[in-house]
Amino acid sequence: MPLLLAGVVSLSAHAADPETNRPQPQMSLQGTRNDLGNRRALPQAQMPTQPPRDPFMSLMVSQPQIEIPAVPSATAVFDPPVVRPRERSYLRVMFNALEESIEWPTNLAAPPQLDISPGAHGQIFQMMGATMEPRTAVNYRVRAGGLGSFTVPEFVVRVAGRPVTVPAASLQVVAAPPTGVLPAARLTLELRATNLFVGQAVAARVLLPASPAGVVQGLGQPQLSGGGILADLGGARQRFEMLPQGGTRVPTFIYETTLTPVMAGKLIVYAQGFTAGSRFSGSVVVNGPATIQGGPPQYTLLESEPVELDVRPLPHEGQLPGFTGAIGRLTTGPPKLTPSVLRVGDPVKLTVIVTNCGDGPLARLVAPPPPPTQGWQVFAASDYAPALPLAPTQPVMRFGPNGNPVRTTTALPDELEGIVTFAYTLIPLTETARATPPIPFSYFDPKAGAYVDLTIPSVPVTVKPGAAPGDLASLVQAGTAGSEPEKELVLSGLAASRGRTAASLVPPQQQAWFPLVQLAPALFFFGLWSWDRRRRYLEAHPDVVLRRRARRALRHQCRVVQRAAQAADAPRFAAAAVNAMRVACAPHYPAEPRALVGGDVLPLLPEADRSGRAGEVVRHFFAVTDAARFGTAAPNVTDLLPLKPDLERVLQELEQKL
Amino acid sequence: MKAARTEKVGRVSRPFGTRTSKHVRTASRLAAHPLPRAPYPADFSLRRPGFGFAASVLMLAALSACPSTAAARSAESLFQAGAAAYRAGQYPRAAEAFHESVAHQPASGTLQDLGNAWWLCGRTGSAILAWEQARWLDPFNSSVRQNLRFARKTAQLEAPDLAWYEVVSTWLPASWWAWIAGISLWLAVGMGMLPGILRRPKATWHQAVAALGLMVFLLSVPAHIGVQTRSRIGFVLGKDIPLRLTPTLEAQAVTRLAAGEPGRWVRARGNYLLIQTSRALGWVEQEQFGVAYPRMERSAD
Repeated sequence: MPLLLAGVVSLSAHAADPETNRPQPQMSLQGTRNDLGNRRALPQAQMPTQPPRDPFMSLMVSQPQIEIPAVPSATAVFDPPVVRPRERSYLRVMFNALEESIEWPTNLAAPPQLDISPGAHGQIFQMMGATMEPRTAVNYRVRAGGLGSFTVPEFVVRVAGRPVTVPAASLQVVAAPPTGVLPAARLTLELRATNLFVGQAVAARVLLPASPAGVVQGLGQPQLSGGGILADLGGARQRFEMLPQGGTRVPTFIYETTLTPVMAGKLIVYAQGFTAGSRFSGSVVVNGPATIQGGPPQYTLLESEPVELDVRPLPHEGQLPGFTGAIGRLTTGPPKLTPSVLRVGDPVKLTVIVTNCGDGPLARLVAPPPPPTQGWQVFAASDYAPALPLAPTQPVMRFGPNGNPVRTTTALPDELEGIVTFAYTLIPLTETARATPPIPFSYFDPKAGAYVDLTIPSVPVTVKPGAAPGDLASLVQAGTAGSEPEKELVLSGLAASRGRTAASLVPPQQQAWFPLVQLAPALFFFGLWSWDRRRRYLEAHPDVVLRRRARRALRHQCRVVQRAAQAADAPRFAAAAVNAMRVACAPHYPAEPRALVGGDVLPLLPEADRSGRAGEVVRHFFAVTDAARFGTAAPNVTDLLPLKPDLERVLQELEQKL
Repeated sequence: MKAARTEKVGRVSRPFGTRTSKHVRTASRLAAHPLPRAPYPADFSLRRPGFGFAASVLMLAALSACPSTAAARSAESLFQAGAAAYRAGQYPRAAEAFHESVAHQPASGTLQDLGNAWWLCGRTGSAILAWEQARWLDPFNSSVRQNLRFARKTAQLEAPDLAWYEVVSTWLPASWWAWIAGISLWLAVGMGMLPGILRRPKATWHQAVAALGLMVFLLSVPAHIGVQTRSRIGFVLGKDIPLRLTPTLEAQAVTRLAAGEPGRWVRARGNYLLIQTSRALGWVEQEQFGVAYPRMERSAD
């Protein structure tokens, strides 16, 4: 009600200007005294306009707050507490906390005589005055084989990080329970078929009959639980109906929806929901007499017995083009094109009505994608009509002579299970088009176990020249380029060999040795460059080479002189001494060392030495060796050996000039 | 014609008649002497100055690329054991064998099969990581590309958003770019330097090879950057992993990540990694986020 008022106030704050048809702000009748005072103080033209309240914000503000109790608590009871052997009982554990905050143990400690298995679990909010508190229920399905009293001991569960003790619960198993103990309320899940294909929808019905006292309760948050299924919440309906039970007709709450398996294999499905007392969600139809109990809601999580589905995958063999997951027994009406005479570039609508007369409802159906066609640009869309209500008399769709669907309510209940209209927008790109392109479409018939072709046929059309779209060429080109169908993606098989190997997944540039390897050619090129630079320098300064060579030859001759002196080999001593002086002087002359004479050596000595002892030694050595070489009589060379110290001094002076 | 003639003096050749002095010719001999001695003929080493370097580089590359024979044998036997377990439908066992084989020696085919086994075990994140690692080693493997597309389409996951230079880096294996860049750079340097050092006139083909090497090097630089940045891309391994606001266990969850969702590793702190996803920036536990190679995680610490 507050929401409704807010909506009224919000609407009254805007009124359209009759001339401009624009919303004009108006004064609110619910303004406060201060607001009115301010308005009086302001001129009329400057009156501030109060922005209208956002309806969504109003809705949020109007909702009661959720209050999570600071100290969570838990209860645990068996329902019913007294059963016969092998009779079903439920261990119901209830928390006043959010379901996500509960760290539920994997295994529950229970007496070995009890066959206990996890059941439904769910969460609901309960009104507590102006606030709402969460209620989380966890069920266990229990069955006892023998007589006796069995107790599930208390255990600790962490709720929002705090330890919460779940109290112990006892179950009495007796041969004849007392008459006052009623069996546990239980849901009934009815499925039209349990042998299904993946993607095949099946109608599901959850029943909650009235209690023996005739009290009818609704279900809060009814749902189908289990792995590998999808439940169509958008098409769910709920109603009351008198259904036969135990020989009498009792009012029964019915929740209907559509279930679609999306996984192959053995799937377990069960229904669950909270008994909501007199609280219902959505519209409820009551057929026949029923007592609806008032008062605060009694939240108990009810569930049905699990139902096993045998789901098979769709066969790959025989799959036809245009299969988009349609399963059932489909028929298509004749395609309808309006208008049939058009111009190039004008859009035209092609509609095809698809009906399902199979055993199950028609799940959400996707229109087959239009094939790439030259001369046409095609856009697809489908309008899904949910399965018709499972009423005692259902309308049946028939096609009249002109192709239009005709509804009758005369016969054949449970035949029609859904209607889908495929609507295609086609744009002719050339006036040579004579008919619309055929659109491949197929479905899978679960009874026959085969795919059935339902290709939408061509419709004759007359296309006249008209204003071609500017990007006609690109559209035509795109139509021809995309003619190759997309390859279906599948998981590849095993690789036959290990393929390309590597020492590590780390790329080389991020490994320590790689910069060092890159440094090696850098060092090599640097060394080569340095060597070339030195070589060019020596080529530009040949005297450096000559002096170096002369020094080396001088050192060699000096060693020969030393050895000859030690061996007292005077002729060899004299020859080596002269050779040493020649090689030491050669770089100063552009000549061979052998061509030098004593006169060439003397100018290289200091001025004072030329006429002194050094000059005398030089002249003496050259004179003796020349005499030995060119004279007829052998000279006496033994007197040269004592001159060794003087000779060394001369050679030192010559070496210093190199 | 006379100027065009060359005279070989010692180990170098120079234009004939440029020097007439005997001393100068001797100097040339002396100047050639300081070159390092090689076990092979000196003339050979001078005419092919890059041969020793190339040989050593190739030897190092071969040593680094080819692990020990024992490791290869072990990896091969583990691969065969994994394949046998896979064919027998024992996917967890096959995944374990493939994983050990990869630990001995990473291989593209082994990683592909490891991804297949993880996928059939229901571990989407690990499967996508393995396939991405296979593509890291061998981007030419079409089966891996197909598997990644299949997995992402099936699990409704998005592929990593790559920059243009990262896309370029996926054209070749990540390790190739380093060698291509190194070889092309030094080829360009060598072609620029060696003709002058060897006293050869710069021919057109020298300059063409140098320009080609330089061009390849410059083109490989973006790919290098791409490899560097791409190595920070990782994938969420677990299912419904919380992306936390701070690197603590009690931190508020910004969002939840599906297995196989990509993210970019930004930095690490303790046991947490800061990652950037297409939706948000936040912290995840290191064990829940796999990168192309685990060294990145270790270096983060």
